Amino acid sequence: MKSIWIIAKNTYREIIRDRIIYALIVFAIVMVGGALALGQLSFTEQARISANFGMAAIHLSSVIIAVFVGSTLVAKEIDKQTILSILSKPLSRTQFLMGKSFGLILIIASLILGLSLILVFVFWGLGVPITSSFLVAILGILIESLILMGLALMFSSFSSSFMVVSLTIGVFLIGHWVENLNFLSKKSSSVIFILFAKASVYGFPNLERFNWRDSILYGESVPIDEVLLTTTYGLGWWLAFLVITSLIFRNKNFA
Amino acid sequence: MNLVEVQDLKKSFKRHFWSEKKTVLKGINFNIPSGVITGFLGANGAGKTTTMKCLLNLIFQDSGNIIYFGKSEFSSEVKKKIGFLPEHPYFYSYLTGKEFLLFYGELSRTLSKKALIDRTESLLKRVDLYHAKDIALRNYSKGMLQKIGFAQALIHEPDLLILDEPMSGLDPDGRHYLSELIKESAREGHSVFLSSHLLHDTELLCENLVILKDGTVFYEGSTKDILNTLSTQYKISYLEENFQKIIFEKDQLQMQSRLKELVAKNCIIEKVEKDRVTLEEYFVKNVLEKRKNEVHLDHR
Ligand SMILES: Nc1ncnc2c1ncn2[C@@H]1O[C@H](COP(=O)(O)OP(=O)(O)OP(=O)(O)O)[C@@H](O)[C@H]1O
Ligand SMILES: [Mg+2]
Repeated sequence: MKSIWIIAKNTYREIIRDRIIYALIVFAIVMVGGALALGQLSFTEQARISANFGMAAIHLSSVIIAVFVGSTLVAKEIDKQTILSILSKPLSRTQFLMGKSFGLILIIASLILGLSLILVFVFWGLGVPITSSFLVAILGILIESLILMGLALMFSSFSSSFMVVSLTIGVFLIGHWVENLNFLSKKSSSVIFILFAKASVYGFPNLERFNWRDSILYGESVPIDEVLLTTTYGLGWWLAFLVITSLIFRNKNFA
Repeated sequence: MNLVEVQDLKKSFKRHFWSEKKTVLKGINFNIPSGVITGFLGANGAGKTTTMKCLLNLIFQDSGNIIYFGKSEFSSEVKKKIGFLPEHPYFYSYLTGKEFLLFYGELSRTLSKKALIDRTESLLKRVDLYHAKDIALRNYSKGMLQKIGFAQALIHEPDLLILDEPMSGLDPDGRHYLSELIKESAREGHSVFLSSHLLHDTELLCENLVILKDGTVFYEGSTKDILNTLSTQYKISYLEENFQKIIFEKDQLQMQSRLKELVAKNCIIEKVEKDRVTLEEYFVKNVLEKRKNEVHLDHR
């Protein structure tokens, strides 16, 4: 357990010292700031547009970090051969993987926290009430990022960087679309389409389930049991990806 | 006592999944004894790095056993007793020298926080990098990286150091410095297993040798013995009527009688020396000889 924490701390430091992360953070802040500016444009729906745009900014920037940093998290260590010396220290390959993952989760969590604080000020300025659904929406973003990070990590254990990003973005798009697919299949009479839709619904994480962002707009609160169930669903996917990655990683030759 | 015993280790590689398998290790056997520096020699591509990576479970052998400190499992406890310096010293470029040692030391979980800080300081001084302790590794030269890599391998006071070409790419000064460091740690009780192409340094540094050739162990034993296998002879240089002459004698007795004879003839003896065979000469003759006419088409 201690080893995982040591690796996580160092991974956090690694990402913080990488200049690319700052470009992303600036981008995210500009977008959240843009939410405020946009809100200013239309007085009637100021609050609605700001909330919508601000949440989208947080969502997008954490997803981007999860996918891009996740895809290079371990691949870079193999490329640069730093893995050779670190794995000869007393820790298992699975512990190493978990440490790297937790390091990135910490980064994403810090980013979400920082951006949320900015957004809270924006809301406050606009007089949008901050309710529990704000926290729930943030939780949803965190879990979705977790799944995408786990996925990127899994893909990176058997394919090249470019492929990893493409595949993960592919799953991201499908993951947000499966609900529609499910809906369409109920109306469809084509057996093949229904089978395809069913396979997609079970074979891909339904990322739209973590989208609790709209509830902020409508001022409704998400039922607690739905939050718990969906959180478990999300963690389940992440864990599955981690186990698969770990199984592949365990037998890898670092030649 | 043996720290590590390698038994019938086999490993082959496939470059691509359609290409033929290439057997690198055809079942090798050797031991790493305790308390000495063992040199691990062989031509380029002989499989030294492959063997070392198998020892550290970075790659997995096709068959064969490795016994560590009497146990067959490569557990965390075993890892705590081993320090490893990889062939190319690539480390975390975003860390400073000090952060790097602290990180690896913490990971090794053998020292208390206080002891680790002390150990880091003293190792930095020992490898002469104290002045660069707050500089990021990306700004280190190759020699500095090799030295910090050596310190990293030593950070947790391991019983066994496995060093893959620790002195390659260093200037003569750096090589000397590092071989002194290795000797010093051996004196302190760390056993060492190191691969090298620098035979002169190896000859001076290593009491014991393991030599790989054609995927098998070609020689395992003491460095002295191997050099004595080729007969050593005496070389007498002298002047006879102002002509420079040289004569070789097989052993001490023959040398003595030859000297008496020369003195009686009024020759002037200039120099008598033992004509030693160096490891380099031995190596070129016995280990590399077969490869001279081979053409390698591996590396496309
Ligand atoms: N991943 C790999 N795929 C295919 N062949 C490999 C792989 N790794 C090593 N080899 C081959 O195995 C052989 C042994 O390589 P190894 O690196 O162990 O040699 P070495 O003795 O360390 O050589 P050097 O002195 O040059 O460092 C080489 O012919 C190399 O081409
Ligand atoms: Mg090598």
